[in-house]
Amino acid sequence: MLQINTILFFLLCVAIGNAQEKNEVEKRVKKGEVHERAIEWLNDAFEKKRKTKWYLQTDGEKEVFEAKLKHKNHLHSVEFDLDGNVRNVEVLIDENELEREVLKVILTYLKANYTKFSISKIQIQYTGEGENLEDVIDEDEFEDITINYEIEFYGKSDTEDELWEGLFDAKGTFLEKRVINLKATDNLDY
Amino acid sequence: MNKRFLIVLFIVSFSVKAQGERFTFGFLPEASLSYKISENYSVTHKIESQNGIYDSNNLNEELEYVHRLTDLQSFISRKLSPFVKAGIGYQYRIEEGENTHRTIQQVSILQRESFYRIGHRIRIDETFYKEAPLLFRARYRIKGQVPLQGLSLDPGEKYLSVSNELIYMTQSSEDDLENRFAVSLGFYFDDKNKFEVGLDYRTDDYLVEDRFRHRLWFKLGYYKSL
Repeated sequence: MLQINTILFFLLCVAIGNAQEKNEVEKRVKKGEVHERAIEWLNDAFEKKRKTKWYLQTDGEKEVFEAKLKHKNHLHSVEFDLDGNVRNVEVLIDENELEREVLKVILTYLKANYTKFSISKIQIQYTGEGENLEDVIDEDEFEDITINYEIEFYGKSDTEDELWEGLFDAKGTFLEKRVINLKATDNLDY
Repeated sequence: MNKRFLIVLFIVSFSVKAQGERFTFGFLPEASLSYKISENYSVTHKIESQNGIYDSNNLNEELEYVHRLTDLQSFISRKLSPFVKAGIGYQYRIEEGENTHRTIQQVSILQRESFYRIGHRIRIDETFYKEAPLLFRARYRIKGQVPLQGLSLDPGEKYLSVSNELIYMTQSSEDDLENRFAVSLGFYFDDKNKFEVGLDYRTDDYLVEDRFRHRLWFKLGYYKSL
């Protein structure tokens, strides 16, 4: 009985482990394939017509549309569900654009958990209702908006050695993380 | 496009010939198959074939097809970190005269930048001959990969890859250098299927007097992983 429990526990760990991996696949789609509501929202929020690339993103479980465009010199990724409802907006920033206090908290977490680490990508993630998200873009207003930081970092500890995608809250407190699986390197290795 | 290419070929071969150096041109198709066997271990099989169609040493100067060699390689690699892999491999080479065995050891390092990536490969190999002494080579290759459509490489998009490899070799205390420079257009169908087509320009016999050689290969490579 103990053995079966051990096996079940092991299988469960594997299953959870897999669920925590990031295996996003993006497929370029034409504007015409995207729900009209999404295009309307984007036009309202970003006003001026911009060069936008549309993607259908799958992580194995859910499918979303993602629009990528440049706005105020920053790369913006806007996520919509398949019905065209906006879900979140992510803005790519540099480490020095991050508020010092927030960065301090994040670095404290990394130092405490990893013997070796390095941050490779920081995105501010705004989540909220469509109207409020629109205000973030065109009015710089953050009413009823959840701000999180999505940070890609390499972290090595005694037990783990991976590239991670970590989610931190507005104050920089760690929320969750998952392993990022890198693209195949067969053409670089052989 | 075709015409221009032939003109370039002609000019290169002519200028090379003027210096008494050898120039060859041919096709180099290759295909690799990779798969994971555990969390940290993966296996790669590769087949590569060199097919000559032009050789400035030919007296009549006509294009002539020659199968030069075919390599069959197998590697087993271990992931040391998300960016570093160490592998050992074996190659069986089918060639006129004598088929040879080669053992290979390599370390590959992935360098990720914001929108492109660079692969560094450090490799040593030993080739065994029936009659001749062991050939030892040490090589370093740097290969960059840049997306051609946007900032990230997504399925269905194209990329450019540029690589250079320097090879030092020694056999019974005679040593030599070879350089390989390659530019390819890559098709990223998805993460399990990539196709690269381009030119691979190889020069060798740097340290041997009066034997400098230029080889230009039209390279086609398919990279499949399971």
